[in-house]
Amino acid sequence: MSDIDLDRLGDVWRAQPDPAEIERLRRSAEAVRRRARLGQVADFWLALLVSAVVLVLILSNPTIATGLVGGAAILVMLFSTVRARRLRMLELATLSGSTEHMLEQSIERVRATIRRARLNLLTTPLGLPLGIGLGAALDRGQGSGIYQRLTSEPLIAALVAIVLLVAMVTICTHLIRTRRVARQELEILIRLRQAYEAERTAL
Amino acid sequence: MGSATGTTDLPSFERIVGDYGPLISRIAMTYEADPNLREDLVQQIMLAVWQALPSFRAEASLKTFVAKIAQNRAISYVAREVRRPPTAEVSETLEADEPNPEETAIYANEREALVAATQRLPLPQRQVIFMVLEGFTYTEIAETLEIAPNALALRLSRAKTALKSAMERSR
Repeated sequence: MSDIDLDRLGDVWRAQPDPAEIERLRRSAEAVRRRARLGQVADFWLALLVSAVVLVLILSNPTIATGLVGGAAILVMLFSTVRARRLRMLELATLSGSTEHMLEQSIERVRATIRRARLNLLTTPLGLPLGIGLGAALDRGQGSGIYQRLTSEPLIAALVAIVLLVAMVTICTHLIRTRRVARQELEILIRLRQAYEAERTAL
Repeated sequence: MGSATGTTDLPSFERIVGDYGPLISRIAMTYEADPNLREDLVQQIMLAVWQALPSFRAEASLKTFVAKIAQNRAISYVAREVRRPPTAEVSETLEADEPNPEETAIYANEREALVAATQRLPLPQRQVIFMVLEGFTYTEIAETLEIAPNALALRLSRAKTALKSAMERSR
């Protein structure tokens, strides 16, 4: 048994911070709250603005195609907003639970990130050329002339190819980095979980 | 101080910062040695507390509620900080936390050693020691960490031994 005096150390630990430190904390808290409220308001107004713009575009050109594209845009925005809110609520719920439960949830989240990054790494190099090929086929079928113009102008075609290649490399680099960071985070989380398990099994 | 009013009214964020700002600051100090990064952690903790405030129920102590969220946020922060080594110089730690004029040099040195020693403890033991140093009761600690009282007693015993040897190494 240790003879360390935690009561006395507690007094040392809780030494009254100076007023400047307290004032700095107050300012910091106020800034955090202001940013968070601004974020909430901005989310709402941005969603409203995007919906209004899409509606105006649909009404100015009321065809089935614009209706479908506009409807899909609003649905995607709604879906991402609801998903972001759900993730935030889930994270808050784990923060107010036990640490071990939070670690479990974090491990699951990071594993899902790694899985997604791996899947995207496989699909991006395949999906992008496939999408371009499909677009070209549709373009030829509809006869809008974009594909024809690109193939008849080698310089523009080369430029488009370079832009697409750079985009693909950037996306893949980002995915590789995401996966690497997530793996490192996973290692730390697993080590932390093991530390808690060791405490439990040491009983 | 520290408990909720018992009514359905939520405590104001200003009150939380006024009452528990130093506690949040000390939690950040326990998990982040670099003063610049610590400020970022303090802000992350405050944001989490602000967001979680509507879920606060008056049957729990407000201090326990804040400490739980702050510790969990700090631990998730540690896991995300994968880009750099976890330790910084102890002298850096206390630059942003200067002692009051009435604090003696010995007192300041002891605090410095205590902070450094706490930062070296394994996470489960660090949580327990932090809560004891903050003056939480054993019941509150057991509730916050969601462990049985006998498990807490054993963990605390090991944590005290680890803290003692870490403090000896810090001197």
